[in-house]
Amino acid sequence: MADPMHQFQIQKIVELPTVTVPGLGAIDLSITNSVFAMLLAATLIIVFYAAAARKAVVPGRLQTVGEMLYGLVDGLAESIIGHDGKKFLPFVFTLFAFVLFMNLQGMFLVFTATSQLAVTLTLGIMVILTVVGVGFAKNGIKFFKLFAPSGVPWPLYFLLVPIEILSFLIRPITLGLRLFGNMLGGHVVLKIFAGFVVALGGLGVLGWAGAALALSSVIALTALEFMVAFLQAFVFAVLTCVYLNDVVHLDSH
Amino acid sequence: MATENHGTVESTEAPGHESGGLPQLQFQHWGGQIVWLLLIFAVLYVVLSKGLLPRVSGAIDERGAKIAGDIADARRLKDEAEAQARAAAAEVAEARAKAQKTAADAKAKASAEAAERQAKEEAVLAEKLAAAEASITTARDEAMSHVRTVAEETAGAIVEKLTGKAASAAELKAALA
Repeated sequence: MADPMHQFQIQKIVELPTVTVPGLGAIDLSITNSVFAMLLAATLIIVFYAAAARKAVVPGRLQTVGEMLYGLVDGLAESIIGHDGKKFLPFVFTLFAFVLFMNLQGMFLVFTATSQLAVTLTLGIMVILTVVGVGFAKNGIKFFKLFAPSGVPWPLYFLLVPIEILSFLIRPITLGLRLFGNMLGGHVVLKIFAGFVVALGGLGVLGWAGAALALSSVIALTALEFMVAFLQAFVFAVLTCVYLNDVVHLDSH
Repeated sequence: MATENHGTVESTEAPGHESGGLPQLQFQHWGGQIVWLLLIFAVLYVVLSKGLLPRVSGAIDERGAKIAGDIADARRLKDEAEAQARAAAAEVAEARAKAQKTAADAKAKASAEAAERQAKEEAVLAEKLAAAEASITTARDEAMSHVRTVAEETAGAIVEKLTGKAASAAELKAALA
């Protein structure tokens, strides 16, 4: 049976020189299958929106889908962050579209960039650094109020502040791990069940029944994975909005 | 059956890997992915936020404005049509009143003329009647006066025949009075 983890192996497509950054070590800038998947996703988003962003008053199919996705994120930012949501919409939308396209690409091609921990963790850290940046830019030193919610008897702060700090610091990790875990798990399970079909198919008549069962599972799981691909991108966008809202509306925190 | 197969999967898994763990944890590949990711994300963000998303939101806003404008136009036209309908109804009512007035005037004028004509005719007739009556009266008076002379003559003739002598006019007149 094929190795279910082999699909996650990084492979070089175009060799590029390794750059040595002082303090960080050697960074291999070769275009790997992961980098290619990210490039392809970004290119597809740009091509898609270049075609979908039209001025037509009565939209065609492409424009309808494009505006629907935009409207989805717009509604999300508006409902979670409120009026200030418009400012963060491009950032949230870029995250959403990028993650969604990488997830969906994994359903059609052999490699899923969002199943790489390096990618999802970087995205998570990027979100949190943005949140911290926005928090400081908007509230200055009051940003630290985030860790000390008001309306609590003061002795509780000894317990509450460390918990709040910990929960804040763990956010990029949960953000990255959630997406990574969902993509990894889904694709592993798909691969294993698909492997069953081949393995059981070779075992004779009884095996065929098992193979048919495994095949129907693969079909059902594929449908599920499409949903997960969309849902995880959506969750990523929702959580980004929630974290941004925390620092945008720090006074009401 | 599934668990059995799962077991074989796990057992064949190990030799496939150089490092033995998840391929995602081969940290020599992290640097390149992170650098490329940041680069690609930055480019994507700039292209979307500066170029494409404003076009999308512009189209959505334009559509909303157009729909709102069209609805406002339609409402305005409806109001206008209603106002025109009201004006037309008022005009019709006015025209009807005018027509009724004209008809009434014509009727009054006609009846006045008719009454005048009738009065004139009646006057003429009355005049004729009076003239006729006058002529009748004169004719009768004349006749009555003739009757007296005839009576006198007759009485004279009768007296002459009976008495053989003619009575005087004064005697006859006294006898007939």
